[in-house]
Amino acid sequence: MNTSVIDHKNIYYPPGGILMWIIIYLELFTFGMALIAMVYYSKEEPEVFHNSRLLLNSTYGMINTIFLLTSGFFMAVTVHELKKNNKQKGQQYLLLTMLFGFFFLGLKSIEYYDKITAGLSMGHNTFFSFYWMLTLFHIIHVLVGLIILISVYFGIKKEKSTTEIEDVEAGATFWHMCDLIWLLLFPVIYLLF
Amino acid sequence: MNKSAITTWVSLLILTVIAALLSNLDNKFVVFLIIGISAIKFLGISFQFMELKKAHSFWKGCVFLFIFIFITVLLIMI
Repeated sequence: MNTSVIDHKNIYYPPGGILMWIIIYLELFTFGMALIAMVYYSKEEPEVFHNSRLLLNSTYGMINTIFLLTSGFFMAVTVHELKKNNKQKGQQYLLLTMLFGFFFLGLKSIEYYDKITAGLSMGHNTFFSFYWMLTLFHIIHVLVGLIILISVYFGIKKEKSTTEIEDVEAGATFWHMCDLIWLLLFPVIYLLF
Repeated sequence: MNKSAITTWVSLLILTVIAALLSNLDNKFVVFLIIGISAIKFLGISFQFMELKKAHSFWKGCVFLFIFIFITVLLIMI
């Protein structure tokens, strides 16, 4: 794997690539605006939002945060190992990264199942409209992130790999973006109201 | 294994548990604490895991600006 050194101090080469960071700011702006809209609507129906928030399982939310943070940690270690040309270790940590990503999806599925069986679907009230839209939009990002990580994994696994460290960094940056978005969603949806 | 990544990871986990425990308290200031903890976690991921600490100050500034504006608007509205 090509591990050429990039000068990240150059404004055009942030870690992960300039395009990825433009996407990150757009995503953060989108989710940020939606969360601010959620808080705005909570002022109109404070009781509905408070009672609905109590219907969520904040322990699930906390465990899912731990899963994503752990996955993000392993991703950071993966990049670190691949930069040192430790391909074997890099692959192992990348597998752990994906495993915790799948744990996140598994627990989220259980949570969704609980909500659907309890009749708390998207049309239940304003709070749950926001809950479903924001968390499902985030899940789509996690799924895309996992697909990127799987392709990176098979890319670096090849004998004559053409995957470069910039590709791994770009994938890692996208994966960390899922953490960042979740870190905005978790306190507002699960803890605030 | 990267020592600073481990320190960041453990700190983030501790902050997550603290935020979850704080949410059970019935106090007006808890909201500020929960948001503050989230901001610290957000910056921890950006600077340590995403290696923004190695990037040009423009990118660092953008992250600070985003989290500052988001939290300020959120706290004004709450």
